[in-house]
Amino acid sequence: MTSTIEHPPDVAAPVARPRARWLPASAGQALVWFAVVALVVGPFFPLVYSSLRSKPIYLPGGTFTLGAYRTLFADPLFLQAVLNTVWFAVGTTVLAVAGGTALAILCTRTNLPGRRAYRLLLMAPIVIPPLGLIVGWLAIYGQGGYITQLVSQNLQLPVWNLSSIPGMSLLGAVIIIPIVYLTVQAALAGTGSSLEDAARSAGAGPWRVITRVTLPMLRPAILNCTVLIFALCLEILGIPLFLGTPSNIDFYASYLYRSWSSGATPDPSFVSAGAVLLLVVVSGLLILRAKLSGSEQRFIAVSARGGGTYRPLDLGRWRWPASVGLGAYIGITCVIPLLGLVLMSGVKALTTLEAPWHLFTAENWQLVATDPTMRRSITNSLLIAGGGGAATVLLVALATLVAHRSGFPLRRTLAPALIYPRAVPGVILGIGFFWTYLMFTPGALVRNNLWGELIALCVRNLTLAYVVIYPSLARINAEFDRAARSSGAGWWTIARRILLPVLRPALLAAFVLMFITLLSDYDPVVFLQKTGTEVLGVTMLQTWQKGIVGPVAALAVVQVVIVAIMLLLGARVLRRLRRA
Amino acid sequence: MPDIQVEHLSKSFSGTKVLDDVTFTVKDKEFVTLLGPSGCGKTTTLMSIAGFQTPDEGRIACGDDTFVDRAARVDLAAERRNLGIVFQSYAVWPHMTVAQNVAFPLRVRKMGRPAVRARVAEVLALVELSALADRYPHQLSGGQQQRVALARAIAYSPAVLLLDEPFSNLDAKLRERARDWLKELQHTLGLTTVFVTHDQDEAISMSDRILVMNGGRILREGTPEEVYRQPRVRFVAEFLGQCNFLTGAICTGPDGGVVLKTAEFGDGIAVLEHHAGPSGTIAVRPEDIEISPAAEPGAAGNGPEGTVLGATYLGDHFQYRVAVGMVRLSVRSQRPLAQGPVRVRIPPGVGTFVE
Repeated sequence: MTSTIEHPPDVAAPVARPRARWLPASAGQALVWFAVVALVVGPFFPLVYSSLRSKPIYLPGGTFTLGAYRTLFADPLFLQAVLNTVWFAVGTTVLAVAGGTALAILCTRTNLPGRRAYRLLLMAPIVIPPLGLIVGWLAIYGQGGYITQLVSQNLQLPVWNLSSIPGMSLLGAVIIIPIVYLTVQAALAGTGSSLEDAARSAGAGPWRVITRVTLPMLRPAILNCTVLIFALCLEILGIPLFLGTPSNIDFYASYLYRSWSSGATPDPSFVSAGAVLLLVVVSGLLILRAKLSGSEQRFIAVSARGGGTYRPLDLGRWRWPASVGLGAYIGITCVIPLLGLVLMSGVKALTTLEAPWHLFTAENWQLVATDPTMRRSITNSLLIAGGGGAATVLLVALATLVAHRSGFPLRRTLAPALIYPRAVPGVILGIGFFWTYLMFTPGALVRNNLWGELIALCVRNLTLAYVVIYPSLARINAEFDRAARSSGAGWWTIARRILLPVLRPALLAAFVLMFITLLSDYDPVVFLQKTGTEVLGVTMLQTWQKGIVGPVAALAVVQVVIVAIMLLLGARVLRRLRRA
Repeated sequence: MPDIQVEHLSKSFSGTKVLDDVTFTVKDKEFVTLLGPSGCGKTTTLMSIAGFQTPDEGRIACGDDTFVDRAARVDLAAERRNLGIVFQSYAVWPHMTVAQNVAFPLRVRKMGRPAVRARVAEVLALVELSALADRYPHQLSGGQQQRVALARAIAYSPAVLLLDEPFSNLDAKLRERARDWLKELQHTLGLTTVFVTHDQDEAISMSDRILVMNGGRILREGTPEEVYRQPRVRFVAEFLGQCNFLTGAICTGPDGGVVLKTAEFGDGIAVLEHHAGPSGTIAVRPEDIEISPAAEPGAAGNGPEGTVLGATYLGDHFQYRVAVGMVRLSVRSQRPLAQGPVRVRIPPGVGTFVE
């Protein structure tokens, strides 16, 4: 045995040629880096450029001018939209932060009955397609909504107005609450409960513990996510388009969209100017947030990490009322609107004056099944979600490896580049891509076809793939790479044979998230859609604006069903992968 | 297998010198240990040989291959150095079976399938894991994972085997067994080996030669016995087991030999080494000091009187704390002694000068 071992086997030992460390794989790494940076940063140059020109880029002539900005500020509708947006953002932020914090504390720190199930159910607004939720809310609580009618016509009581700024803020808060919930919950998990236990052993009751210990401890996290949510509110497009139209309330994004699609001149440059301004404001807010999260890290680092078992705070006689209230909240905000969506897709008209089964019709569904535009938008959206999702996960996975597991000289610039797109308002990215496709020859290849929309949607959402993949990669011991390198493997071999296979569960989770997001996202493509390249979200938007609501509800149901199937499938495959 | 030459290695991390002019050679088939506390530079040295760290200055060569030479701007990529490494965490890839793990370096080298299969079987038999070839790492114990890592490292008969604290994740009993087993394997295969550890027992029991490092420098180099018996430097003496230090004046004894005289040991301690200068410090191991009850007949010749302050029973011996005048000595003896006066004798030749 040992006699054969002592002789080296017939291995063609690699010729040892001196080379710089990162060179062998650097061409591929540079390609990945360039692809990401070009896709993320590229669209902003044409955007800024077009906002400074007197004529659209494709017309001859034109000079540099600040005219577009002047036009913008001279428009009273713009100033009104800014004001509306600010009020909406303030209202939504306050409601969402207060609500999300309360829910997070209730579900993670108290003995609320059913808290385990609620923790999952509260995430529903993240996975329900946002347009589906909006249409569902309109079907139930809108001006002509089912419950609104019940209250006003059948009970003759005064009703609310969902199309007002407070009404829209309420829906905005419902959609955004999961983000607050997740942030606060993460902060609570990071600090542990030992500080609260100390207060309790000092004789403080649950209410005092929450107000004097838990909340002050959460202050940095809450502040941080307040800034984030305010920034997110500035770019919301779906709510003002669906809810604001009846009462003529425009927000920043919907003002840009309306000016673009119904302006007297095509492709007005003041829309680009508006986009640039919003970009500056949002970027400023995000820089502020980055500074704040620095202080948050410090805060968590100095506080004690909780260990051992922990006894939840006792809600006493409020246990069951709180649980029922939380259940009612989920029912009212998610379950009933989804049912309303189904109802709306199956009736001729939404009315409480006649029983819905008398109004049953298959027309809406027939239209969805036969109308070429609607059929195309379903297949197109599926194509983008499937193909774009897979391509994005692959690119982001490689980019994450270059950023965190390579010697590539510019690797440190990749992580910010991967995070930025999601922070930029979708409409801005959309306008940027519009001008990019117009200005550059390679852009013409994807102009007016599905590829252009696919690229815009994927770039906008690639951050989601990164935030799923990176934490998993960080948990993989760097000695895995080193062991492979000392075995003679180069960077690509390590990526292909070691790191990507180990990352499989994360890649799948990233794909599922990308799929459901790409299926329902539409902000970046409202400026790109042409006949033949319809996607679900924009088709729903345009059909709704024509006053045709039934088929929109049917499309929303299709979206919800596809998302549900994808989530179930994903969970199943993930479970099998984890077991193996 | 070729020698490894490490010459004038230096490296700083943000102003702190972690390697300071490190030079040594590992001869063919030799087992050399880098021993030192954490942060002494031993792992940085090993990773510089492996190619995962680049020194600021210096040269590393293996036979005719130059791995790194800062002056000549040569820095061979880690994957082209043909080394076998066993990492502290073993780094056995979790998505591959034992056999696939071991086959990886062979497949990277484009070896044919039948040859890979034969070689994997051979190496797994060598590390006594043939029965577990199709298991996944999470189904293995720590000791078995370590052997997979070793099998993978030697699968393609690398020029040199590098071991980065491979035993630190094993429990004490297993560690001792793994130590003997690895040493035997290294000897049979004639592997040139560089071993990094902070455990002096591992270093002494396994090495052909030990390099004791601290603060990025090599303080002492020699066989385990040389390093243990003649540490030369105070730090080395302390790091390799317990040690007593006595400082005094250097005199010439009646027979012309060197004698160290201190206030407590007025008759002097005979040292079989030369030392320049009027005064010096010697290191004496606790097991080399003899103590006997002061009341014993003929005890007067057994050195100065001391007092036993305390004793710890350690199974095969007692560890005594003994005061002689102003100095406190640590003494190891198999004789049970009561607290109280004793005679303390340091036999000639057991002390060795340290700086």
